[in-house]
Amino acid sequence: MELEKKDYDLVIVGAGPAALSAALYTSREDIDTLLFEKGAIGGLAAVTDWVDNYPGFAKGIAGLELADAMRAQAERFGAKIELGEVMKVAKDGNLVKLDTTSGEVSAKAVLIATGSEYRKIGVPGEMEYYARGVHYCATCDGAFYRDKRLVVVGGGNSAVQEGIFLTRFASHIDMLVRSQLKASDVLVKELDKHKDKITVHLGLATDEIVGENNKVTKVVGTDSRTGQKVEFPTDGVFVFVGLDPNTKFLDGSGVELDERRLIKSDTRLMTNVPGIFVAGDVRSGATLQIASATGEGATAALMIREYLENHQKTSTATVATLYGEA
Amino acid sequence: MAKDITIFTTNTCSYCGMVKRFLDMKGQSYQVVNLDEHPERNQEAYELSGGALTVPITVITKEDDSKRVVVGYNLGQLAPALA
Repeated sequence: MELEKKDYDLVIVGAGPAALSAALYTSREDIDTLLFEKGAIGGLAAVTDWVDNYPGFAKGIAGLELADAMRAQAERFGAKIELGEVMKVAKDGNLVKLDTTSGEVSAKAVLIATGSEYRKIGVPGEMEYYARGVHYCATCDGAFYRDKRLVVVGGGNSAVQEGIFLTRFASHIDMLVRSQLKASDVLVKELDKHKDKITVHLGLATDEIVGENNKVTKVVGTDSRTGQKVEFPTDGVFVFVGLDPNTKFLDGSGVELDERRLIKSDTRLMTNVPGIFVAGDVRSGATLQIASATGEGATAALMIREYLENHQKTSTATVATLYGEA
Repeated sequence: MAKDITIFTTNTCSYCGMVKRFLDMKGQSYQVVNLDEHPERNQEAYELSGGALTVPITVITKEDDSKRVVVGYNLGQLAPALA
């Protein structure tokens, strides 16, 4: 879809909690703000079944409902959300140019808030049976497994929380954990309440997802204590083995990443490229909480406002000096 | 042009909302089949999608009654399927 205009004060890449929080602040202050989202508005929060630790909701709130409220609040002040993808970001003088599926866009400042996506295990069968028995979103696909057996791979917060969600549908769940459970104590206690339906297998590496006639039939793993192969008959597999940052589009941009490909920033949440800021799960050092992401979004918005004020008041050369540009 | 668009959804599927939003932006009307409310239509969705166990599944029926089926929220497939 082509955009009506091509020049903005601020382009935000992503529309998760950090991005929507920043957009709320900037739009409210009449900073012309455009967001790009290639996946779900609300990011991983929108595909999380239930959120119990976001302040202001004493009884908790559905992730989808929370995401929708954040979107509505940002849009209320004029933030525009474009459904599309940013493929490339490059500094061009005092502006930032973005190649997008909606054409080339230019901005005085850019906020990268692209978050992370669920990591693949990388075993045989995983891609072959993608969406046909292998899944990464319990709230999307769990309902297809009413009274069926499932395997959940992973032992962190997402695996435990989504595994518990899947007990609404599945007759039984085998949870395969490569080493030890790494979920929070609260979630581990909650998991224990579902031991009639969820069997946790610690020290169990997942080797292969096997199927026949276009359907998953079993998962083969190795018990690290005995070295023995173990088979788990199943109708489907849900994978939650960690997160990978969405930073591929920054290759060649000059934005500095850490060894995990998370974006480095200074105390103003600005990257090493003046005018390009970062907030939320994609930032090196982020704490991967919705509450901290929204906080970072608000902080980034204030820093961006200051940057834009200097951008407007001063010449290109002065802005470059102020922000350490060579 | 599409003669009919049907989206198979569930109550908790955030990507289903994204497909609806995209179609709204394109000014396209559509019908929704919520599989949580109509589990008897699971098999229909399964067969239309060629064996996918996921939502959204968007079925676009063209003027000549040919069908395009888009599994998941995939703008790269949805946009040309509407053309």
